[in-house]
Amino acid sequence: MPKTSLQFGATTENLPIVRHFVQNHLRSFTSDSVQINQVTVAIEELCANSILHANKEDPEKELRLELRLQGTTLHIYLYDPAPPYDLHQYPQEPKLLRADTNRPGGFGIFLIRRIIDRIDIRKRKGGSSVYHMVKDLNP
Amino acid sequence: MQIEVIPEGDVQHLKLVLKGELDALTAPKLYEQLTQLVQSRPGLNRITLHCRELTYLSSAGAGILLMCMDNFTPKGISIELADVQPEVYNILDLLGLTKLMPVHHA
Repeated sequence: MPKTSLQFGATTENLPIVRHFVQNHLRSFTSDSVQINQVTVAIEELCANSILHANKEDPEKELRLELRLQGTTLHIYLYDPAPPYDLHQYPQEPKLLRADTNRPGGFGIFLIRRIIDRIDIRKRKGGSSVYHMVKDLNP
Repeated sequence: MQIEVIPEGDVQHLKLVLKGELDALTAPKLYEQLTQLVQSRPGLNRITLHCRELTYLSSAGAGILLMCMDNFTPKGISIELADVQPEVYNILDLLGLTKLMPVHHA
């Protein structure tokens, strides 16, 4: 699978587009449907966090998702116009009931941590950010 | 996502079929519909969600399932998932929800 990318506005309505883009590309590399789904979920959760929290669902803000496969290692880059947020500051366990919202919370970041091997976050010139996730598809 | 009610003579047991993808966009619809069904069915004590055709579950979808359980359990209503596909089961398992509610494989 060569490098491939998708550009999309920061709105939750684009999450299914992201999902199907990732699924289609991973299917060309592996037939392990559980692993394809795991990686898809992790990428969608990262994008959802950027859309909802970093960009406040502003469809004018453009995000770019890039997938690169090196051997069996998938590199996932999310270029985000918003400043980075620190995924590592969130609690290790999801909240079954958040006191502030009276709803479950932290599930998305918890899933990213469970599924992805490594995640790096970099601030870029101009205040934007890039999230780099790494996943070995054939451990 | 499509939500279909399976007609059933047992007023205590509500059976629904979930089809498609349960995510941030569709989860509120499921919560709204389940809440309406619970309110309109006094005597209900069990909900089964048949998930054979549920092809995707995001954290938002899982969160809504947990919220339904949190809201319905105090009313004496249990909620369970049946015929869950391996991909969806895996996500529920990673989140620990398979320990909190009955989740049955397809």
